[in-house]
Amino acid sequence: MIGKIRFLLGETGQNIWRNIALTLASIMVAAVSLSLFGASQLVARGVDNATQRWEGGIEFVVFMRADAEQGEIDAVRTLLDDSVGSGIEDFNFVTKEQTFQEFEEFFAGDPELLATISPDTMPPSFRIRPTDVEAGAVEALGQAFQDEPGVRTVVFATEVIREIQDNAQKISTIMLWVGVVLLVASAIVILTTLSIAIASRRNEIEIMKLVGASNWFIRIPFMIEGLFQGIIGALLALPLLAFARRYVIEDFSESDRLRLLEGFRVTDAEFLEISIYALIIGTLVATIGSVFAVSRYLDV
Amino acid sequence: MIRLENVSKEYSADSPALINASAEIEKGEFVFLVGASGSGKSTMIRLLNREEKPTSGKVFVAGKDIVELSSWKVPFLRRNIGCIFQDFRLLPKRTVASNVAFALEVIGRPKDVIDQQVPAILDLVGLSEKSHRLPDELSGGEQQRVSIARAFVNRPLILLADEPTGNLDPDTAVGIMRLLDRINRTGTTVVMATHDRGIVDTMRRRVIELSDGKIVRDQSGGQYR
Repeated sequence: MIGKIRFLLGETGQNIWRNIALTLASIMVAAVSLSLFGASQLVARGVDNATQRWEGGIEFVVFMRADAEQGEIDAVRTLLDDSVGSGIEDFNFVTKEQTFQEFEEFFAGDPELLATISPDTMPPSFRIRPTDVEAGAVEALGQAFQDEPGVRTVVFATEVIREIQDNAQKISTIMLWVGVVLLVASAIVILTTLSIAIASRRNEIEIMKLVGASNWFIRIPFMIEGLFQGIIGALLALPLLAFARRYVIEDFSESDRLRLLEGFRVTDAEFLEISIYALIIGTLVATIGSVFAVSRYLDV
Repeated sequence: MIRLENVSKEYSADSPALINASAEIEKGEFVFLVGASGSGKSTMIRLLNREEKPTSGKVFVAGKDIVELSSWKVPFLRRNIGCIFQDFRLLPKRTVASNVAFALEVIGRPKDVIDQQVPAILDLVGLSEKSHRLPDELSGGEQQRVSIARAFVNRPLILLADEPTGNLDPDTAVGIMRLLDRINRTGTTVVMATHDRGIVDTMRRRVIELSDGKIVRDQSGGQYR
């Protein structure tokens, strides 16, 4: 048994080595397609998480300038207090420190980014739940705060969500489809690589058939070779995904809209889940390519 | 050991390769298949190890109807049938010993068995000294000996030989025939397709003659004619 396994692995190793250029190309296509697939999932999860931040009825946020004076903040608070019961259900105030704490939680994995900020640079904000959530009414209510002294900007949930969904969701979908197309390409490349491996070993295969090697004994080295390409491709996709995860977050963190997208992140658990999906899909695609190759080109 | 019952094989409808052939070959027999090129000798050999299926008729090997054999069982049939060819079919990048060992490796024989059987069979075919040579460093006769060693190392019941001396000069061919005769004396059934009149006439074994796909003569102790 050990002898058999050693022989099969030896054959597989030889196949891969003889066909190294094509094998590498095949692995790269698998890696890129799985990365795109994974990235689309990263963005989708990020969007989900970002949209969730607006749950609980918060319809708009009044961001104060980071350097707003206490008097200016108090004035806005008084205005809001006066409106509770007439248009506003309730509101809560998020201090610089709380904003910073949230920020710290979101970017816990990114000490370099955290080192560049401090509570002083964080904008305090009021998160407001209006009584009437109809878009026009919310907008009219929110705009009233726009021109108050010390107010940097007023952001509406509907607008943010629509923006995220319009852009990020679209990007995610495009990446998913390009990923799927590339996954199909990946299966075809694996199939082609195996067909060439099979052709280059036709003498061995002929003799194996002649002396009575079982069908599976002939097929297995090629199956392993195909699986190897898919699985190594998937394993290479994981660091690419980790990079993409960081890049996506940093991209948003540098953008002006950070405060709107503070929920745009992907947790470690979600990342692990996406990684496992990528591995499973890589293995599946490789299996499909391998099974097609041996059933089509390996006439045993 | 081998029985053909009304076997026909058509590759295309207008030129059948074998027509209604029937024959029985006992265990331990040595049989020559003779006839012109295209008379159906190779087709008959290919039917015996299930490289081909007949269009009609039955082929029995060791008591089993091999036409009806499911494809996953074919390898086990072939472990009982050694094959040698005019063109040797050795793997050029493997040494003599490794070519022979390959036949055992791919049917999953353990390493200690391989290490014991390969030198023994190379000794039998007279190539112990050349076990580490590559095939293209050997003469044609030596290469055919390697291919016989590979076919026989698993001690098959039947040895099928398709023009094994076709590429060899007469003296070398005699050496190969001696080896096949020796193998036959161990009880192995040998079926050999050949064009070589001298060999057939010298050996005086059973001769089955094919002409245009039909068996036209089946004679023990026969000559080529």
